[in-house]
Amino acid sequence: MNKMTITTPILSALLLCTVTLFSSLTYAHHVLGRPSYSLNEDSNTPPSMAIETQIGEYFVTYMVFPAFPKPNEPGRVNIYATRIDNGAMLDQAITFTVRDDTFWGESIGGATEPEVIGQQHIDDGVYRQGFLFKSRGSYIIRAYFEKNGEPYELDFPLQVGAASPVGPIGAAVGFIFFLLLMINIVQRKRIARTKIQQGHTA
Amino acid sequence: MMEKEFAPAGLSKQKPITASKPFALYRHLNKLRWLSLAVVFLMLILIPLLSIYQHYVAAQGYNHLSPSQTLLYDTMEFISAPFVDAPEHDLDAIKGTTWSGQLFGVKLSDPLAIVGQSAASLKLYWPLILTAVIPLLATLIFGRFFCGWICPATFIYELNSNLSVYLSRFGIKNNRRFHKNIKYLVLALGIGISAYTGTLAFASIYPPAVLGRELYFSIALSGFGGGTLFFILTLGFDTFVSRRGICRYFCPGGALYSLLGRYRVVRVKRLVEPCNDCNKCNAVCEFDLDPMRDNFGAECNNCTACISVCPKSAMSLTLSISDQPNQGPGHQSRQYRQQNSDHNETIQVKNIS
Repeated sequence: MNKMTITTPILSALLLCTVTLFSSLTYAHHVLGRPSYSLNEDSNTPPSMAIETQIGEYFVTYMVFPAFPKPNEPGRVNIYATRIDNGAMLDQAITFTVRDDTFWGESIGGATEPEVIGQQHIDDGVYRQGFLFKSRGSYIIRAYFEKNGEPYELDFPLQVGAASPVGPIGAAVGFIFFLLLMINIVQRKRIARTKIQQGHTA
Repeated sequence: MMEKEFAPAGLSKQKPITASKPFALYRHLNKLRWLSLAVVFLMLILIPLLSIYQHYVAAQGYNHLSPSQTLLYDTMEFISAPFVDAPEHDLDAIKGTTWSGQLFGVKLSDPLAIVGQSAASLKLYWPLILTAVIPLLATLIFGRFFCGWICPATFIYELNSNLSVYLSRFGIKNNRRFHKNIKYLVLALGIGISAYTGTLAFASIYPPAVLGRELYFSIALSGFGGGTLFFILTLGFDTFVSRRGICRYFCPGGALYSLLGRYRVVRVKRLVEPCNDCNKCNAVCEFDLDPMRDNFGAECNNCTACISVCPKSAMSLTLSISDQPNQGPGHQSRQYRQQNSDHNETIQVKNIS
């Protein structure tokens, strides 16, 4: 049995705490939840995607037309925002920005600056913002407004074109898993022998 | 079948070893366990794929899909069609992760989720607590079986454990030991932090919860969270610092299951008569227990690796709420025979293969 020093568990605990802390600093910015689709099957209009969420004092519905936007095809984001307590509609200018949400752009920091795509005022109870993307990718649409001195930042995911089935991290994770599996299969007898040898010397 | 002769010392002539042989299929339980772990892991991959398929169906978007999305749609339709009529709604019958989910209408939650949630909210919410009844009962009966048979993180950690063994051949010291009670401290701290902050602290560090969430996130939402980084670091810890160290020393779920399963009904026991003290059971035990000296304790997850590796079929399952006391050396071991060499009497022992 290995001799254990007092510093080893302390250092390990510190490492674990650091990792935990680091993990907690990584926050999600997506609005999660299942999108809903509301067209009946006889409609000629392309289906839209809607996400509903509550933030601060407002109940917000986000809709994307079409549900599966493609590069070089115009699309539109609709936002409906009503107060949770009395259902009154938000009547305030909303600024829409877009930023890259791909791994290289978001996590590594290689993204271009967020781009303002427009500022919209309420029109018949809806904030409508058109868009046209030239290339496929994962984007985050941010709707920003201030009310009663409070800033509201709503981030919504927008996938333009087909999502790439496997990203760089996905490929790395897949490779690690494949490597583990292969070593377990190909080296199984050697591993079993080593375990038993080490069991005898422990 | 063969016959051997050796000094008796404790062996009863009236009770041949054949009477205490374990049930033959016990040896294959470890294979069944790997199958169970693989199925759970694959389910965690399949559920988000089904969820994406549900979205496509709900959006009636088949004609708008890219080729890869169409392939996904067709594959999921092929898999689910025999079981559901209206996938948009019926596929909700299976959802969630091992942390909390629904299996054919039965809602199930990890007991750690209940403990953490109750601590965070400082109240008991019975509809939620009831979802943990089945896992709780199973733990009371089978002990820490979740860790060995269901936990998706175990699937990865155990594969990784073999990688650690392989790497140790090249001089990497990765079998450091820590105090087993550290995980109880992690459990207590997690409850305290949850109660103080009102957040579910365990969800950030409990490997199966992290893995289930990250798998869903990566497949359904095409992204990775900080949990992926955390999980890879735990793999690094297991690989280079301490084999299965996360499960053994730090997992709060493991701590809770060890507490709940302390008086489990189904447990592994050693049959002293056929045992030859070869130590293989100890060598393969992922949790560094000491089956060869009847020391299983609360940590044993009934993985049955010791049963399947034993060349003398000296490991079996039994119904008992406590481990048997140390029975001494196996009756076929050299040590045992030397201790009893002054006995002249010899007996026939059959069926020791």
